[in-house]
Amino acid sequence: MNRASLHFVLAALVAIALPLFMRSGTLASEVLIFAMAAAACNLLLGYTGLLSFGQGIFFGLGSYAAGLTLLHTSLPLGAALALATIAGAVAATGVGWLSIRRQGVYFVMLTLAFSQFFYFLAYTFKDVTGGDNGLLNIPRPAIGPFALGESWAYYAFVAVLFLLVFAALQRVASSTFGRTLLAIRDNEERARAIGFPVRLFKITAFAVSGAVTGLAGALHALLIGVAPLSSIEYHMSESILIMTIIGGSGNLFASVLGAGFYVIVSDLLSSIWPRWLLLLGGLLVVVALFMQKGLWGLLERLVEALQNGRKSPVEAPVRPESEGRSI
Amino acid sequence: MIYLFQLVNGIGLGMLYFLLAVGLSIIFGLLHFVNFAHGAFYLLGAYLVYDMTERGVNFWAGLLLAPVVVAGLAALTEAVLLRRIYHLPHTFHILVTVGLALMVQELVIILWGPVGGNVSPPDVLGGVFMLGDFIYPQYRLFVIGLTLVLAIGLWWLLEGTRLGAVVRAGSESTDMVSLLGIDIVRVNTAVFALGAGLAGLAGALAAPIRGVEPFMGVEALGIAFVVVVIGGMGSYTGALIAGLLVGIVQSVMATLWPEGARLMIYLGMGLVILTMPRGLLGRA
Repeated sequence: MNRASLHFVLAALVAIALPLFMRSGTLASEVLIFAMAAAACNLLLGYTGLLSFGQGIFFGLGSYAAGLTLLHTSLPLGAALALATIAGAVAATGVGWLSIRRQGVYFVMLTLAFSQFFYFLAYTFKDVTGGDNGLLNIPRPAIGPFALGESWAYYAFVAVLFLLVFAALQRVASSTFGRTLLAIRDNEERARAIGFPVRLFKITAFAVSGAVTGLAGALHALLIGVAPLSSIEYHMSESILIMTIIGGSGNLFASVLGAGFYVIVSDLLSSIWPRWLLLLGGLLVVVALFMQKGLWGLLERLVEALQNGRKSPVEAPVRPESEGRSI
Repeated sequence: MIYLFQLVNGIGLGMLYFLLAVGLSIIFGLLHFVNFAHGAFYLLGAYLVYDMTERGVNFWAGLLLAPVVVAGLAALTEAVLLRRIYHLPHTFHILVTVGLALMVQELVIILWGPVGGNVSPPDVLGGVFMLGDFIYPQYRLFVIGLTLVLAIGLWWLLEGTRLGAVVRAGSESTDMVSLLGIDIVRVNTAVFALGAGLAGLAGALAAPIRGVEPFMGVEALGIAFVVVVIGGMGSYTGALIAGLLVGIVQSVMATLWPEGARLMIYLGMGLVILTMPRGLLGRA
C-alpha cells in the first residue's frame, strides 16, 4: 500500500471511529469540517510554501454564501454548497492573485491584511451578513431522500463529503500539478527558470484551497444554523493555521490530526477554562521550536519506536519534504 | 471645516500608525525578524496606561511607564527566546510570535476582563482648543505634537547617533558589524526593545482616544502591516508617509462613509498593490 492510500485509509478510520468514541454528533462533525479546512490550508502551507492568514476569509464567505442561499432562495442544499465552494474559490483567486504579487514576509502580511479587509466588509454590510449577530436560523434541508436534521445523520453526510474532499486533495497533491507545487516550494527561482508559470500555479493552489475552505465554511454554518461574524474574523484564519501546524505540514492526513486535536481539546478545555487559548499559544511556540513535524511527526516516532521493539527509540530522520519550509 | 477637522484627526491617527509601524520596520530592518507579536506590544501599552489610571496613578506617569515596561518585557522575551530563532526561516518567526501574541491577548483578558474600558485624558488636556471656528480636543493636539517630536527624535537617533549608524550598518550586514567589534547581540536586544517600546507608546497614546479592548492588538497589527506593505519594511520615510496616508484616508472617509472607514484602508492597500506592487517607495 502506498503512502497516499495508507493516509486515505487512516482518514476513513477517523471518520468511522469518531461516532464510536464521541457522544456529540455536532462535535464529531466539527472535527471533520475543520479537518477539511486544515487540509486545504496545508495544500498552501506544506505543498506550496505559502503561509496564508486568509483562510478565514474563504471559510466565512462559504458560511455566508450557504446561509444566504438557503435563507433567501428555494435552491436545494447541493446548490448552496456548490455556491459556497465557488465563492471560496473566487475569493481565493482574487486574494491569491493580489497577495503573491509580493513575496516572503510581505505575502504573509498581505494575506493578514486581506483577512481584515473581508472582516470589515462583512461588518460594514450588516444588511447582507447580519453584522455582529451573523445570519441566523439557517435551515438544514434534506439532501434527496435523506433528512439531515439529526446530528449523526448530518455527521454521516459531512463524513462522506470529507472523504471525497480528502481523496480529491490527495489527487491534486500527487498529480503533476501537486509535484510542481513542491518544486516551487523548494526552489521557486529554479521552477521559474525551467519554465513553469509559477504565479499561475500558486493562484490555482489558492483557488483549490479556497474552494475546499468555502465548502467547510458552508458545512459549519449548516451545522450550527448560524453564519457568525466570527467565521470570517482573523481568529478563524489563525485557528485554521494553528490546526494545520500542530498537525504537521508534511502530509494531508496530518491536518486531520491537527484539526481533531484542536477541536476536541478546545471542547474539553473551554468548558473548564475559557482562557485555554493561552495554553494553545504556548503550544504553538513549542511546536514551532521543538516539534516542527507536528503531531504527525510524534506519531511517526512512536510507530518507529514500536517497530524497533526493545531497541531504544531512534530519532525519526527529518525528510526534507516533510520539514517546515521557509516562505 | 469638517474636512479640516478630519484632516487634523487623520494626522494624529497617522502619526500613531507611524510609531506602530516604524517599530515593526526597524526590527525587521536590523534583525530580519518578522514580529507578529507587534500588535501585542501595542495592546500591552494601552492596557498598562488603563490599569495605572484606574489605580489612580497620574496619567503622565502611566504614559511614561507603559512603554518602558513594554520595552523591558520585549527585551526579556528577545533575550530568552527570540534571539535563538533568528537563524530559522521566517515561518518560524511568524509562528512563535503568533503564539506569543495569542498568549498576551489571553493574559490581558485574564487580568483585565474581556470587555475593555475607557481611559480619560489628563485634566490639563481634557478641554478643547479653539481657533476661530476651529474647535479641536486638546489631547489629540498633544498627541500630534508629541509624536512629531518623537518622530524627529527617532530620525536623529537613526541618522545622527552611533547607535543609529550601527543599526543601519547592521541592516546591511550583521556579520560585518560584528567583525568591527560591536556587540551586535546587545544592539539587537536594544533595537527590539526600542521597536516594541514604540508600539507600547502608540498603544498608550491611543488609549484615551479609542479606549482599550483585548482585540485591539490584532487590529493594530493589521494596520501596521498595511503601512509597511505600502511604505516598505525597514524604511523610516516609508513608514512616515504611509502612516500619515492611512491615517488621513481613514479619518476623511469617516465623514463620508462612517461604517466603511476602516474598510477603505484595506481597499487602498489593495489598490497600491495592484498599481505599485513594490509599494510607494519602490523598495523590495
